[in-house]
Amino acid sequence: MSLIAIIDDDPDILDASSLILKTKGFEVITASNPVDGYKIVKEHKPDLIILDVIMNEPDDGFFLAQKFRREKITTPIIMYTSISKTLGMQFDKSDMVPVDEFVEKPISPEALVAKVLKFVKQPVEN
Amino acid sequence: MNTNGKPRVLIIDDEDALRGAVKRILEREGYQVATAENGSRGIELGTREEYDLALIDLKMPDYSGIDVLKEIRRQKPNTVCFIVTAYASYETAVEATKMGADGYILKPFTPEELLNHLTSGYKKRLLILEAEALKHEREERLLEIAFERTRLNTVINSLADGVLVVNTDGEVVYYNNAAMTLLNLHDVVIGRPILEELPAEIREIIFTNFTVNVTEKKSFSVEVELKPKHELVVEATLSPVLRHNGQLSGVVIVLKNISTFKKVEHLKSQFVSMVAHELKAPVAATLGFLNIILNKEMSLTRDQELDFLSRSRHRLASLLNMVNDLLDISRIEMKTITREIRELNLNNIITETLSLFTAEIKKKDLSILYDQEGLQITIRADYSEISRLITNFISNAIKYNKQSGTVDIKCYAEKHYSVFEIADTGIGMRPEEKDKLFSEFYRAKNEFTKDITGTGLGLSIVKRIIDAYSGKIEVESKYTEGTRFRVFIPMDLNEDEINN
Repeated sequence: MSLIAIIDDDPDILDASSLILKTKGFEVITASNPVDGYKIVKEHKPDLIILDVIMNEPDDGFFLAQKFRREKITTPIIMYTSISKTLGMQFDKSDMVPVDEFVEKPISPEALVAKVLKFVKQPVEN
Repeated sequence: MNTNGKPRVLIIDDEDALRGAVKRILEREGYQVATAENGSRGIELGTREEYDLALIDLKMPDYSGIDVLKEIRRQKPNTVCFIVTAYASYETAVEATKMGADGYILKPFTPEELLNHLTSGYKKRLLILEAEALKHEREERLLEIAFERTRLNTVINSLADGVLVVNTDGEVVYYNNAAMTLLNLHDVVIGRPILEELPAEIREIIFTNFTVNVTEKKSFSVEVELKPKHELVVEATLSPVLRHNGQLSGVVIVLKNISTFKKVEHLKSQFVSMVAHELKAPVAATLGFLNIILNKEMSLTRDQELDFLSRSRHRLASLLNMVNDLLDISRIEMKTITREIRELNLNNIITETLSLFTAEIKKKDLSILYDQEGLQITIRADYSEISRLITNFISNAIKYNKQSGTVDIKCYAEKHYSVFEIADTGIGMRPEEKDKLFSEFYRAKNEFTKDITGTGLGLSIVKRIIDAYSGKIEVESKYTEGTRFRVFIPMDLNEDEINN
């Protein structure tokens, strides 16, 4: 069974995303800030990380992604974005932004599931 | 022959008969005549004012005609002088000419001979005067140009914009102080090669656009960041200086300091991004919920649906609050608010506001310490703004308080200020949080604040209101122990001192 970690400071987004993925049969763990996010990833070694760009600071999602890569955590990362483009952030996969995919908020269940399935296998439905 | 008034002649001769005869002849011909009966009188008259012509006898008892001539020439060099003598000799003629005599008239002479001499003498006099006038005019013009130049220099040097002119050899030919300050150049000497010291962006434009075959007067502009982080940004405008024949002779570089503009622009776009993010978050959350509810595959339970719908409503309600707060901020900023300045009783507003929060106070079991028996404090201000200010403080003191905490409210006069003081026993702030307190959308985030809602605009509105009344605010806070705010509003503010 694939385990997905969602790290986002908006409890509503956390709940909505979790529900979508749980309905599809994934196991989900969540964290609402970068510190807890780092902890759950280290502890539970998920198969995929969904990470919000802006939490306490306008770019702490990026910093957390960089920290994972520096520590050789190669788990694929999908980044939730909302307005980072206007802040002039780069949206190409690069060393600066070591993530594998982007999802623009708001989230549609189909789009989220489609992006997630690029990285983890569809669990066998019960 | 006489165009501008009668020619004025001075006759200097010791022979009375000759003086009289010459005077009569000349007056008949339209001359204005003055006479002197000896050399000293001649010098006196001839140097006191300027005659057109002078007839000087060579041999007089007191002075020699040569000495008289010398003296007159020395002081009135433009008087045309003739030496008159009966004892013509080659030597005296030469000497007289050397001393500046314009002619030599031999006695005895006929009236015609005399008049011929004087006519040509007067022509000469007119030429001299004309040359004098031209010379004078030219000097005046040179003075004027010199003056104009100094004035232009003063003007250009007092410009806040930098001006720098470079010739086609890349040498500086003109600059003002502002240019040197902006480019941080020192001891620049006219004629020194300067291109290497200019910012690369400016050099680039010069090399690409100002080659010898430029004939068009076309300007180029470029923004140059001279110090990073918008600390010093200039807009450089480069225009060609063309010769009369259309050939390029140099480039004028005008440097305009646009740092403040860039800073404001940066702040503005930062603010816009922040607003966009804050507005988008509730929209995204709500849409996320609706997407799930409407998605058949998700097959939610009725309870889940209701939970998501009520959370959506909650997000939309706070979005509406935020939009209203933003509109308030914008109204204060654009100064379109019409303030109704009245005498307000601060104590009454506090009591009134507290009554609106009765339910919240009861729910948290808070004790409100508010001594209403003290002095009644009045301020001159707009009711809705002051009420908004007090509401925001009381609401924060309740929201961020601990269960069964206290809110301590005081108002009093201190020096020239009316003071409103409110202290809570809430979560408090770390020093670094205090600095951000009044920034838009800043909300304390820690384990205590998870469930506290707000727009993050309350205190930035408060700050703007206080600023509008030239007031000030003090914050004391201890993390986990509580926060105390003191708001100072100046007393006796005139209406026009309030930032309308």
